[in-house]
Amino acid sequence: MQDNITKILKAIADPKRREIFHALVIASSALSITQISGQFDISRQGVTKHIKTLETAGLVGITSKGRERFCTADAKPLKQITEWVRFYEQFWDTTLKDLGDYLDSK
Amino acid sequence: MKDVITKEHVFAHPIQKVWNAISVGEEISTWFIKADFKAEEGYNYTFTSSEEHGCLNITGKVKSASPYTLIYTWVVENTTTETVVKWDLQETEAGTRLYLEHSGISNYSGDSAVTYFNNYNGGWNECIEKLTEFLTKEVHAG
Repeated sequence: MQDNITKILKAIADPKRREIFHALVIASSALSITQISGQFDISRQGVTKHIKTLETAGLVGITSKGRERFCTADAKPLKQITEWVRFYEQFWDTTLKDLGDYLDSK
Repeated sequence: MKDVITKEHVFAHPIQKVWNAISVGEEISTWFIKADFKAEEGYNYTFTSSEEHGCLNITGKVKSASPYTLIYTWVVENTTTETVVKWDLQETEAGTRLYLEHSGISNYSGDSAVTYFNNYNGGWNECIEKLTEFLTKEVHAG
């Protein structure tokens, strides 16, 4: 499995990769490396490198058609991080409320 | 995307009182979770949840415990992932300001995170809620 959270965080740490990922999320269909390259004014090689990192994190899927590769976004891995954060956000809110009640009652 | 949870809270109580509540085992056991805990660097602590609610123990090591900063690792039973909880107290005019920080989500591998949530999301909350209910009653009765 490639959906290691360290890889996800690394993948989205770079602003340019976030932009590319965002473009793929809002795209109605898969985008080719050529299209992404044109849209962001970076070389095919540069795009390929970014896409590889996103793919490793499980955030992008790549399919080949002929000589061109098409990319689609998959936001599912991000859910793991938000779930963790949401769980503990709530957990600590409850805990601090309990601490406050305890201190008030002492 | 952040991998740190931070909470800030002001308590209208003296700093030593808040410090004792978060660092003395008997006090932690009263308001939070049954604790074998000592605020000593290197101490291996255990937070014990009641099994009837399907809750999990938390274990870890105290990294730092100098008034008024308490740092310990946080490992949920049946997982190997280590996260870190930091309590930092500051004296204010109104009482005590608490900064709580829970970091280390990046230490979770995706698989174990998913397993973790599938198994315990809800369960643990329920456990804490029941504990809270119980404690509220106990405290008010006393």
